[in-house]
Amino acid sequence: MNTKWVGKRVQRIDGPEKVTGELKYMTDYHFDNMVWGKVLRSEYPHAKIKSIDIEAAKNLPGVICVLTHKDIPGFNGFGIVVPDQPVLCSDIVRCTGDAVALAAAETLEIAEQALTLIKVDYEPLEVVADAEYALTDSAPKLHPDGNLHSHVKIKNGNIEEAFEEADIIVENTFFSPRQMHAFIETEGGWGVMDEEGFLTIRCPGQYAYRDRMQIARSLAYNPERIRVISSPIGGAFGGKDEITVQIYLALLAMHTNGRPVKIHLSREESVIAGIKRHPFKVKMKTAAKKDGTLVANQVTAIGDTGAYASLGGAVIALAIEHSCGPYKIPNVDLEGFCVYTNNGIAGAFRGFGVNQVCMGIETHMDMIAEKLGMNPIELRKKNVYHQGEVSSVGHIVKSSVGTYKTLETAENCDLWKNREKYKSEVSEPWKKRGVSLATSFHGIGMGIGLPDYGAATIELLPDGKFLVGVGCEEIGGGNSTVYAQIAAEMLNCDISNIMIVQGDTQRTLDGGTVTASRSTYTGGRAVAAAAPKMTELLIQTAAEMLNLQASRIDIRPNHIAADGQIIPYKSIHKYLYDHHQSARVEGHFYLPKEKEEIKGSGGAPHHLYGYLTHVVMVEVDTLTGETDVLRVVSIPDAGKVMNPQGLEGQAEGGAVMGIGYTLFEDVLIENGYHKTRNFTDYIIPTIRETPLIETFPVEKPEQSGPFGAKGIGEVVMIPIIAAIMSAICDATGARIFHLPATPERVFNALKDLKKQKVQSAR
Amino acid sequence: MKSIQFIVNGKERTVVCPPAKTLLDVLREDLGLTASKECCGKGECGSCSVLINKEVVCSCLVLAGQAQNQVITTCEGVGLSPNLDVIQESFIAEGATQCGYCTPGIIVSAKAFLDEVDTIPSAEEIKTALGGNLCRCTGYTKIIKAVQTAASKKISEPETAR
Repeated sequence: MNTKWVGKRVQRIDGPEKVTGELKYMTDYHFDNMVWGKVLRSEYPHAKIKSIDIEAAKNLPGVICVLTHKDIPGFNGFGIVVPDQPVLCSDIVRCTGDAVALAAAETLEIAEQALTLIKVDYEPLEVVADAEYALTDSAPKLHPDGNLHSHVKIKNGNIEEAFEEADIIVENTFFSPRQMHAFIETEGGWGVMDEEGFLTIRCPGQYAYRDRMQIARSLAYNPERIRVISSPIGGAFGGKDEITVQIYLALLAMHTNGRPVKIHLSREESVIAGIKRHPFKVKMKTAAKKDGTLVANQVTAIGDTGAYASLGGAVIALAIEHSCGPYKIPNVDLEGFCVYTNNGIAGAFRGFGVNQVCMGIETHMDMIAEKLGMNPIELRKKNVYHQGEVSSVGHIVKSSVGTYKTLETAENCDLWKNREKYKSEVSEPWKKRGVSLATSFHGIGMGIGLPDYGAATIELLPDGKFLVGVGCEEIGGGNSTVYAQIAAEMLNCDISNIMIVQGDTQRTLDGGTVTASRSTYTGGRAVAAAAPKMTELLIQTAAEMLNLQASRIDIRPNHIAADGQIIPYKSIHKYLYDHHQSARVEGHFYLPKEKEEIKGSGGAPHHLYGYLTHVVMVEVDTLTGETDVLRVVSIPDAGKVMNPQGLEGQAEGGAVMGIGYTLFEDVLIENGYHKTRNFTDYIIPTIRETPLIETFPVEKPEQSGPFGAKGIGEVVMIPIIAAIMSAICDATGARIFHLPATPERVFNALKDLKKQKVQSAR
Repeated sequence: MKSIQFIVNGKERTVVCPPAKTLLDVLREDLGLTASKECCGKGECGSCSVLINKEVVCSCLVLAGQAQNQVITTCEGVGLSPNLDVIQESFIAEGATQCGYCTPGIIVSAKAFLDEVDTIPSAEEIKTALGGNLCRCTGYTKIIKAVQTAASKKISEPETAR
C-alpha cells in the first residue's frame, strides 16, 4: 500500500514545544491567586485512628482549609476495579502512603507547617510485611474479606501424567522486585471551582473520563459539572492510571473560594504514596520431551498488591494468562494469588504482570535447551504457536502471530550469528561476556468483560485545518503523531493541517485508557473511522456549494477541486457555519474480543497480542559481580509499523527500563516503611548504562488494526529481562533467580558456583 | 525579602524574594520560565539544569542569593520556536524527546557540552557529558544520536552562516 504519512519517519508533532520547554505541563501552571495543597500521610503502615484534631492547623495564619474524611460529601474511596482505598482515612491506615488529611494555604511552607499541627492519635497494629504470611491464619486481616484480593486458575490437560511421562523437568522459584515508574514529572496538578460551581481539574492521568467518574463519586457531584484535563503528561508508564491527586484537588477546590489550588508531590512523597510494580514470587515447574517438545507447565504466582487493590487483580490475571510464554503446552496448571499487605500500594505498570512470569518461562526454556544440548532458538521455534493454533491457555489464536518470524530475525542478526567473536572481545581479562535471547508476548487491550472502545472526532476549523480529538492522552509514546499521520493520510492533506487535542472531558469523547498497549490500535482505528465521514462531509458540502453531483468532486491535497474550480477548506467551513451545519464528525470503534472466557482466568484470553524477541550481550565483572548490558537487539512484531522513529523510541526506552528492572531497581520496604526515598537510593539507568540498541521490526500486519497496526508499548521491556538473566549465565555459568541481579547477588552466585565446582572436583 | 539582580537569557532581571528560595523556584514562579523542572529536588536528575556563566548547574541546588549578578541561561534561552537552536532541531529530527519533561534540562547540558567541542563527539564523550540527566522514556539512544547530529550540523553550517 502506497502511503504518504503512515509508516513513515514522521517527526513528532509535539517536538518543537518540548525541545524549547514552551509546552506547559499541568504542574507548570502558576497563578497569582493560587493556593498550595498538601496531603498528610500516615505515620504508620498499619494502625487504628483513634482521633484526628485539626483545630491548631486550621488556626494557623495563612491556612485556608484543613479537611478530613468528614468533609467528603460522597463515597470515601477510590480504585479502578474495587474502590477499597480511602480518599482520606477515617478509622484505619493500611500503608504509609495513606492520606489522612488535606490542607490548603497561602504558601507551600504554611501548608507544610499546617500538616505538622494536625494531631492524629494512632494505635499501631501488627504490620503484614510479607504476602505469603498474609495468607496464613495468624496474619491480621487488612480488609473485611481477608488478605486474598483475588485468585485465578487455568487448568488444561493432565499435568500429573505429563510430568510422569516427561524426559526432563526443571523447577525453580523466581523473585521479582518492586519497580518504581520513576516518571520524571511527579504526581500533581490543579483544581479550581468557578462561581457557578463548575469544577476543573487539570491533572496528568491515563483516562480522563474514569478520573472524572471517581472524582464525582467521592464528591457526590454531577460529573457533567466536572471537567478533567489529563494530557500532556511528563511520563506515566501505568503509574498515573489510578487516581493520584485528582480527588484531593477537587475536595480542596470546593473550599478555596474559587481560588485555584495546586498540589505537586515531592519525589519523596511520590515514592511513598505512588503505586509500584507488584513484586512476585513465582514457582514454576516445566516439563519437556527429549526432542524439546514442551509437555507441561505448572505455575504458582503470588503478587504483593500492598494495601489496596487498584489493578492488582487484573495484573495477576494477565500474569497467569501469559505465564507459559507464546508456546503451545498441552498440560498446564496455572494459579495466581493477589494478596494485600502493608507494603505501600502496587498497581499498573508497563508489562502488567507479564514481566514477572516471563523471567520464569524463558529461563526454563534456556535451561531445557542447555540440558538437551539444543539451540535455544530451535527449542523456541519448535514450541511457539502460530496463528490458528491453540495456545497454552487453551484458546485458538485468531489474530496475527509474529513470534516465529522474530526468532528467525534473531537467528540472522549480527549479534547472534557472530556471538562467539563478540564474546571473546572482553574489555578486561577478569570480565566475561555472554549472549542470550528471550521471547515474549503481551495482550493488547482489555480482557473479556471490560468495556474497550475507541472514539475520535474530526472537526473542520475556520482556517481550513482539522482538529482531531482523541480521548487517549499523550503520555510520551507519540500517539498524537500517529493520530495526525492517520488523519493526514486519510484526509489527503499535509500533516501541518492536523491539530490534535487529547485527554479532555470537555473536548474529546470517551475513548478508553492509555494502557494495555491499546492507544495506537484503538485510537488509531477510531480516527480511521472518523476520517471517511469528514471526507464525505467535505464532498457533500462542496457539491452543494457548486451545485454539482458528488461524483464530480475531487479531494486534492489540502483542497477540493471540481470542474476546474478550487475550493479551499476554509470556504467549506464558512458555508457550513453560514448554513448552521456541524463541521464535526465522529468515529467509533469496538476492540474485537474473544467470545468465550477461559473459566477462572479473570478475563483471558485476549484477542490480540504483540510479540517480541530480544537478543542481548552482557559483560560481567567476575571480581565485583557488576553487569553491563553492551548490546541489545529488539525484534518486535507490532503489526504494521505506523512510525519507525516512534517504534524505535518505544523499543529503546523499553529496553533500558528492562535493564533497570533486571539489574538495579527495587523499592525497598522494611516492615511497612520505605527505605527507598529518592533517586539517591533508587537507581534508574542513566545515559551511561545505555547499550547499543538495534530495532528490527518484523511487520506482520494485523487485519483488524488501523493500516495493519497492533500495539507495542509494553512488550518492549519484557523479554530483555530473561535475556539478561540468561546472558549472565552464558557469561559466568551462574543463574540468577532473584531480581534485581545486583552486583552482590551475582557475586554470591559466582561464589556458590566456585564452591560447587570445588566440591564436585573432590 | 531580598532584591536580586541577574541576567536571564540575555535580559537583566530583578526579583524580590527570600534569599533562600531556590533559583529553580525563582525561574519558575517569579519569572514564569517553566522549561526547567523539579523532579527530585536533590540534584540527582538534572531536570532543572541551567547554565550559570556557561557552566551546567542543578538550579534546585542554587539559592537565589547565589545567583546575584550571574549570567543565567535556561532552555528558553537556548532557543524558542520558531528560532530553534541546532541542538533543538536535531532533537526533533532524531526523535530524542518523548514525554519531554526531562528534555529542557538535557538540551541545556548538551548546549554547554557542544559549546566546548568542535568535533563530532563519540558516544562515550556524550555519555560523560549528559551523565547527570535522567530520562525515563527514551532509553537515551536517540539523545546520543541527536547530540552527534547537532555537532555535525554545527561544523558544516557554522553559526554565522545560519
